[in-house]
Amino acid sequence: MELSINGKNYTVDDTPDRPLLWVLRDELGLTGTKFGCGVGICGSCTIHLDGAAVRACLTPLSASAGKKIRTLEGLATENPDGSLSLHPVQQAFIELQVHQCGYCMSGQMMTAAALLEQNPKPTAEEIITAMDKNLCRCGSYPRIRQAVARAAEIAAGVQNG
Amino acid sequence: MAETPKEKRKLTRRDFLVLTGAAGGLYLGVTLGVLPFAQLKLAEFLDSAGGPPSNIEAVPLAWFEIGADGPVNIYIPKVEMGQGIHTTLAQAAADELDLPWESIRVLNVGTGKGLDDPVGTSASNSTSSLFPILRQAGATLREMLRLEGAKLLGAAAETVRAEYGFVFSNQDSARKISYGEIVRAVKTWVVPDPLPALKKASEFRYIGQPMPRVDLLDKVLGKTQYGFDLRLENMAYGAVAMPTKIGATLKSAAAGEAASLPGVIKIVIEDDFVGVVAERRDQAWRALEAVQIEWNETHAWEQAEIEALVQIGSGRGVTVQQQGDVDGRLDADALEAEYFTPMVFHAHMEPQTAAADVRADGATIWASTQTAVGVRRAVAKATGLKEESVIAIPTFLGGGFGQKVNSFPAVQAARLSQAAGRPVHLGYRRAEDFQNGFIRPPSRSQLRAVVNPNGLIEAMEHKQASGQVAFPFLPVFVSRVMGADFGAYRGAQIRYGIPHKRVQAWLADLPFKTGWWRGLGLLPNLFAIESFMDELAVSIGMDPILFRMANLPLDESGARMKKVLETVREKAGWGLPAPQGRARGVALALDVNTIVACVAEVSVSGREIRVHKLTGVADAGFFVNPNGAAAQMEGGMNMALSSALFEETLVKNGELTPTNFGAYKFLNNAASPQIVVELISSGDEPFGLGEPPLGPVAPAIANAVFALTGQRLRRLPLKLA
Repeated sequence: MELSINGKNYTVDDTPDRPLLWVLRDELGLTGTKFGCGVGICGSCTIHLDGAAVRACLTPLSASAGKKIRTLEGLATENPDGSLSLHPVQQAFIELQVHQCGYCMSGQMMTAAALLEQNPKPTAEEIITAMDKNLCRCGSYPRIRQAVARAAEIAAGVQNG
Repeated sequence: MAETPKEKRKLTRRDFLVLTGAAGGLYLGVTLGVLPFAQLKLAEFLDSAGGPPSNIEAVPLAWFEIGADGPVNIYIPKVEMGQGIHTTLAQAAADELDLPWESIRVLNVGTGKGLDDPVGTSASNSTSSLFPILRQAGATLREMLRLEGAKLLGAAAETVRAEYGFVFSNQDSARKISYGEIVRAVKTWVVPDPLPALKKASEFRYIGQPMPRVDLLDKVLGKTQYGFDLRLENMAYGAVAMPTKIGATLKSAAAGEAASLPGVIKIVIEDDFVGVVAERRDQAWRALEAVQIEWNETHAWEQAEIEALVQIGSGRGVTVQQQGDVDGRLDADALEAEYFTPMVFHAHMEPQTAAADVRADGATIWASTQTAVGVRRAVAKATGLKEESVIAIPTFLGGGFGQKVNSFPAVQAARLSQAAGRPVHLGYRRAEDFQNGFIRPPSRSQLRAVVNPNGLIEAMEHKQASGQVAFPFLPVFVSRVMGADFGAYRGAQIRYGIPHKRVQAWLADLPFKTGWWRGLGLLPNLFAIESFMDELAVSIGMDPILFRMANLPLDESGARMKKVLETVREKAGWGLPAPQGRARGVALALDVNTIVACVAEVSVSGREIRVHKLTGVADAGFFVNPNGAAAQMEGGMNMALSSALFEETLVKNGELTPTNFGAYKFLNNAASPQIVVELISSGDEPFGLGEPPLGPVAPAIANAVFALTGQRLRRLPLKLA
């Protein structure tokens, strides 16, 4: 099966019903996408499939082939000189010092990035509705909300606010 | 009752171990010097109880590595699980060593590096125990570099200064030599005696500043390696059979068809242990399902039976605080109330996990653990290897909250690796994680008190019963001598200035494992005491903040508590009416010498309790990183709110339930309130802040619910009638 992940093509020989999560992590070494519950509740495994946020633990390989898969490892942009430009969501999460343990944050940031692509200027309520699908046991929720709002500003070119 | 900190032992020249590297480089280890406080406490206890002497072996607590080039590395045995301690400790060392912020790195180290930490990363003590040590070590290294730098510059020692990674001549700033160059040139180092003075607060560049977390860039890029992310050469995947029924033991197992399933490398069946090693994780899970396993099941426990085991006044009861004549003062008119808190899961996002590479001559274990030393000991015992040939390396943790003090997955991964002759990764699925760990025990508290009309509490009694917290992790003789489990009665002592008071603790033997959970007994006990304080205030019609102020102890801790209460009153707008349909409640906690007060603002809709705002004020002595401290407050208060409103592990038909997120509800983003944090510095020594914020939140919410509805809810999670 052919997979397109973060702009690179991979050929994997695997069973079509295997969840994409384990192929990413165990077969391809893309461990930025996390396992938390395996039943689509916690959101730690959130990735983008053709730009939409989905749960990798519930996405079978067969549903991933032929689509553009983006994981946390592909959120930043690599420049021609090899340096990285962080995505506005990554910049905002650092600026607000959101992470504690950081394990759920892969999914939080991917959910946030998908939200901002669909809705570049979300209201406070829209941010909560979108981010409520991702659990954080360290309780960083207030900073997550602030950081998503800040990421929208950064993407819109607003400097240090 | 104030906890007076013992006078700290000062480091001396002999506490440092200095080595030079073959290729240049200077290494400085801080040896025994200061015992981690929990170990010290235990040692003192054993001495006073006539037990074995406290001749605890000298081990380094931290290791500084100044290379001939590049960054300064500081190796510490404390893990980063979200507390930000690698950042606070980098601040301490970078300031005293006088380094640019970018050139310092704090690294976790496994047991192979000679750094043994018998306490583990727990009890909110990482910053408080290592901060003074790293400062003194950094200052000592700086002085050593300065003295040798002076010689190399051909200048008198008093005419040079160490600054920003260089030693400069005071006369001519162009004359300078970098730390790296000094380290390359010097072969013999002398530790100054006496040790140099620490910097003054006015000289700090980093300490006390909101420095950015050193681990965040890797975390936003997905590069951080957690235990579940371990990938080793030739690694296979494991799965282990674990009973779902409480108390079940293995009766029989047969590989059957499992051995011939795709990818299976080995079916391991040894006395009490059944596991599978396979090329892929899903193959291991599938094969484990195919293994024919029978369990010896005991009684099918139900929740009511468990709660009935948690009884005050039966079995072992120990007085843990006693003052005055409580029995003489508590008469029939005393107010009394009983409170109950349930079992809860840790629910860290990263399930318990470890990877093991066991060879004939030794083993290396990578584990998402709060105690590498505990893992080493347990793996050595399980594999028959000598402890010194087992290296246990802690990874970053996707949350721990006390659970990851255990060594279960590390031991299981090691057994699988030993049997299969391959490195093995073992990661629990969520149900396995929930049903095979230590959970927070249930607790029951009975309080009685007499208050005079002026609002002074004349006498108060707290009787508390709980499942075990600390004892499962201690040698049996310690628990026999101590009687009461200090983990279970953490937070049970009455901190108010009451002339007659007594606290007694009972221990319940439960059929499942209970143990460390963030703050230990703090949340359960404070829920009881601080709810009861509200009931007392209401009984005489007094404002609950003024009532607490009237009953503070007349010592330094009382003065600090007063300031924290005054601050929370102001920041929460306590004197102003609450917004329409809402009410406020307050509570106060003192833990590990840190004081936290909380005001909760709640509303009620039908039977649903909604917390809109939490105002938290903390005096943790000194804040090395105010932004990190605020994050600990926000996260800790949210976790306590989650316990207050949502969380409950229930025993049903012999099983701990529920078995996954969702059914096990905890705080989500939409239910997370506005949080206002205010930090008060009262000195220059940091106390802990990882756990104290969990103390006052649940009672503050319960007290607000009473103010709003008149319903006094004495059981967590809070449920309206």
